[in-house]
Amino acid sequence: MVQYSSTLDSVFAAVADPTRRGILERLGRREASITELAEAFDMTLTGMKKHVRVLEDAGLVQTKKVGRVRTCTLGPRRLAAEAAWIANYQQMLEAQLDSLGEFLERTKGDRP
Amino acid sequence: MITTANRHTLTTPTDRTIRVEREFDAPRDRVWRAFTQPELIAQWWGRGNKLVIERMEVERGGHWRVVEHTPDGETHGFEGRFREVTPKDRISRTFEWDGMPGYTILETAEFFDAGEGRTRLVSTALFFSPEERDGMLHSGMEGGMAESYAALDRVLAGMR
Repeated sequence: MVQYSSTLDSVFAAVADPTRRGILERLGRREASITELAEAFDMTLTGMKKHVRVLEDAGLVQTKKVGRVRTCTLGPRRLAAEAAWIANYQQMLEAQLDSLGEFLERTKGDRP
Repeated sequence: MITTANRHTLTTPTDRTIRVEREFDAPRDRVWRAFTQPELIAQWWGRGNKLVIERMEVERGGHWRVVEHTPDGETHGFEGRFREVTPKDRISRTFEWDGMPGYTILETAEFFDAGEGRTRLVSTALFFSPEERDGMLHSGMEGGMAESYAALDRVLAGMR
């Protein structure tokens, strides 16, 4: 349980960043090299390596180097599914608040 | 860690809590109604997606269930029960997504008067994994469980 808890802490830190949530979502569809990820997110190789390391430390992503190419895949399944769920929830919550703000703006002055 | 996007502030005060704070240009009464009246919830909760509200019993212990329909034809069901309903002040409920059964979130929304007809909303989400839920069952509830079994024994003995 203790181990789980500290893992979840790093999971939260990892998924708090929108780029890293995007990386998880993309890797959920298929594996990708660091170069491919850097291109997809319009980012330098160094920048992408940093993001991948955070995800790797949280156990969300695994990397494997073959020749000169480092390939990234989602990490241990249960944890990765859980992290993706938390990331989705957070994204949904943030989008809902925007949506609520727009709704309140739109209905200003209405009386039910 | 703190991230600020648009008009809200997101923090993670504990290792399994997400806290979002945001101000709305509407009085508490309107924000509360947007949170609790089905015909109003349907207009924002789905973020533009069609939302079918199957149940919304806004009272302590009441069941809620909504189904979101995405443009690519997917449906996602969400449901739970209300734990606390204090009008215009605080609402707390459990939240589960059909796609991750057993992973429960305890959602709490608190509404504060921010003056000048504005409302500050503090929304907190506490995550439980199935393991954590089982852990709670084994610790705090054991005593109560033993009593229930003893009572069941008596009932069964009486049925013979």
